[in-house]
Amino acid sequence: MPVDFELSTEQKELQELARRFARDTMAPRAAQADRTGEFPEEVYREAWKLGLMNLNVPTEYGGSGLGELDQCLITEELAYACGGMTTSISANCLALQPINIAGTPEQKERFLKPFCSDYHLASFCLTEPSGGSDVAGMKTTIRREGNEYVVNGEKVFITNAPHASLYTLFATIDPARRHKGITALVVPRDSPGITPGKDEDKLGHRASATSSVTFDNVRVPVENRLGAEGEGFKVAMNTLDSTRTPIGALATGIARAALDHASKYSLQRTSFGKPIAEHQAIAIKIADMVQKVDAARLLVWRSAWLADRGKPVPLESSIAKCFASDIAMEVCNEAIQVFGGYGYMKDYPVEKLLRDAKLTQIYEGSNEIQRMVIAKEHLKRVG
Amino acid sequence: MDILVCVKQVPDPETKLRVAPSGKSFDTDGVKFTINNTYDEAMVEEALRMKEEFGFTALRVISVGPPRAEEALRSALAMGADEAVLVETPADLPLDPLLVARYIAAAAKDIPHDLVMVGRQAQDDEAGVVGSALGEYLDLPSYSFVTDLAPVPANHLLKMKRYVEGGEEVFSAPFPAVLSILKGAKDPRTPTLPNILKARKKPLKKIPAKDLEAKVSALQGGAKPTSDILAFTLPPPRAGAKMIEFQTPEEAAERLIKLLKEEARVL
Ligand SMILES: Cc1cc2nc3c(=O)[nH]c(=O)nc-3n(C[C@H](O)[C@H](O)[C@H](O)COP(=O)(O)OP(=O)(O)OC[C@H]3O[C@@H](n4cnc5c(N)ncnc54)[C@H](O)[C@@H]3O)c2cc1C
Repeated sequence: MPVDFELSTEQKELQELARRFARDTMAPRAAQADRTGEFPEEVYREAWKLGLMNLNVPTEYGGSGLGELDQCLITEELAYACGGMTTSISANCLALQPINIAGTPEQKERFLKPFCSDYHLASFCLTEPSGGSDVAGMKTTIRREGNEYVVNGEKVFITNAPHASLYTLFATIDPARRHKGITALVVPRDSPGITPGKDEDKLGHRASATSSVTFDNVRVPVENRLGAEGEGFKVAMNTLDSTRTPIGALATGIARAALDHASKYSLQRTSFGKPIAEHQAIAIKIADMVQKVDAARLLVWRSAWLADRGKPVPLESSIAKCFASDIAMEVCNEAIQVFGGYGYMKDYPVEKLLRDAKLTQIYEGSNEIQRMVIAKEHLKRVG
Repeated sequence: MDILVCVKQVPDPETKLRVAPSGKSFDTDGVKFTINNTYDEAMVEEALRMKEEFGFTALRVISVGPPRAEEALRSALAMGADEAVLVETPADLPLDPLLVARYIAAAAKDIPHDLVMVGRQAQDDEAGVVGSALGEYLDLPSYSFVTDLAPVPANHLLKMKRYVEGGEEVFSAPFPAVLSILKGAKDPRTPTLPNILKARKKPLKKIPAKDLEAKVSALQGGAKPTSDILAFTLPPPRAGAKMIEFQTPEEAAERLIKLLKEEARVL
């Protein structure tokens, strides 16, 4: 039996835990956090208490060491209730993954353990004002002085930056060396010279905080470097390879929420004397939404399944992320159409879903970049 | 001092039930089963409190059901139970609450139990029978609708409260005993993710129902269900709401009372 779509009892339990937390703790606060842009930290603390944060931290450092499929199951459930909160909850996985990948046992002990014994947030600092897609073009520099590095530069759009206690930072020893100069450092937030910018006012994911961070002669001990000088690009790419599939799960969760809202509404709302679900134009929309959500989940599961078997998944994770985020936009858009004028109103839940879905096409590698990767990987296998 | 708790896996309250082709049960095809049944969860929490606050040493959990019932057991293990036993029944074995009680009693012969606890009733058939039946089959006193449980282990006494019509009783009784728990002192804990993962390593023993058949047959009622379900039907669809027309609030109240008395006959 080479393929099996049945989840284990334990996976069902993880899913149920996430579903309950999403329903009981996230969903009731989602609309307000979306309206005000507040950062519902009590929700994140509760997520931490239940073990729903830091899913990828290995057990020897106090984490749960979950595989990708388990992470995806949880992420889909959380995103079903609120995409923005899910972004902030999963940002720790993104920020700590470079330490998982490139940290020495001593660094893991020093940096990962505190996240499992107490509630802390971490941020992944890669994107710069001059461009997120062209990672090798980054301008934030590090200069070695004795046993320290001195960091100067600016990062933008950094999730959780104002609230995080630890940053994993990617900066270059020499911009001219492009990707060969990039180096990864772990930087405590309280190092002198770090200033997070204002909380950005965003279209969606408004329960998540996003801001720039400036580094002004920030001194970081050399023992905080992850891997060797110049290995940072690889660390960043390997990190994104493992977090891309869960972003697909996040998008699937948003899309599933839109599908559920639209399905229920189509059975309740009547026009011309029957439920609108019985008008074929609406039924076809529902049918298309069902197919898309299902296909997205299967692509996410496949990519996670392969990754859990130790296979590199540059192609599969890009397909999963790109497809799931694109269909999330389509499904949320159609959900609003099913709701008609009500869907356009903030009193109804579907317009938020569309705004939240949009980000999944942009962050963690825009879909244009995903398509470049997909074509390149595919053609490599053909030619 | 050991506690044995009994749990049942039930359909998710949000799942839509359909009548099975036999017309005697609901169709389990496509039904989502819960991992946590509300009443059982409250009871398991109370059992954990007994262990944490009153010095009971081991908490074992048992379920009688098809292989999927393992999920309910794993969930109790994730909440904090120490060991689990699944009496695995084949899909075609008809069960009624009395037969379930006989299977539990038969299995319990080999499981130490100073306290046996059940939820007030199952969330699906709402029978509430297993607790008192277990009392009979295990030859133990049984108490129903118990709250505010406080054992005095030194004298083997339980102090407890029971809701009775119009008031409540506080009483004490000896244990070993079977208790059906109405409501725990604390809200049931949510199993955390690390505890879910730890539960995987806790022992879960599966006993095929047929291995217990001889013992079950020896109990009054034997190895067959005592009752026979003749038909299973779904409640009729709810009729629409009735809007009351009125000019003044007094008039609205008057008409409402009239309708409640004459049409709904609830007053
Ligand atoms: C809410 C939010 C949270 C974020 N969180 C984080 C975070 O925690 N950490 C972090 O480091 N970053 C984060 N980001 C940044 C995000 O990853 C980047 O915005 C993204 O990578 C795109 O970079 P950019 O915005 O600079 O766009 P650009 O790179 O300037 O791209 C602009 C457009 O051009 C396209 N494009 C660029 N290059 C090519 C090409 N070669 N071929 C075809 N098309 C191309 C892009 O797809 C895009 O459509 C976040 C962003 C947002 C909005």
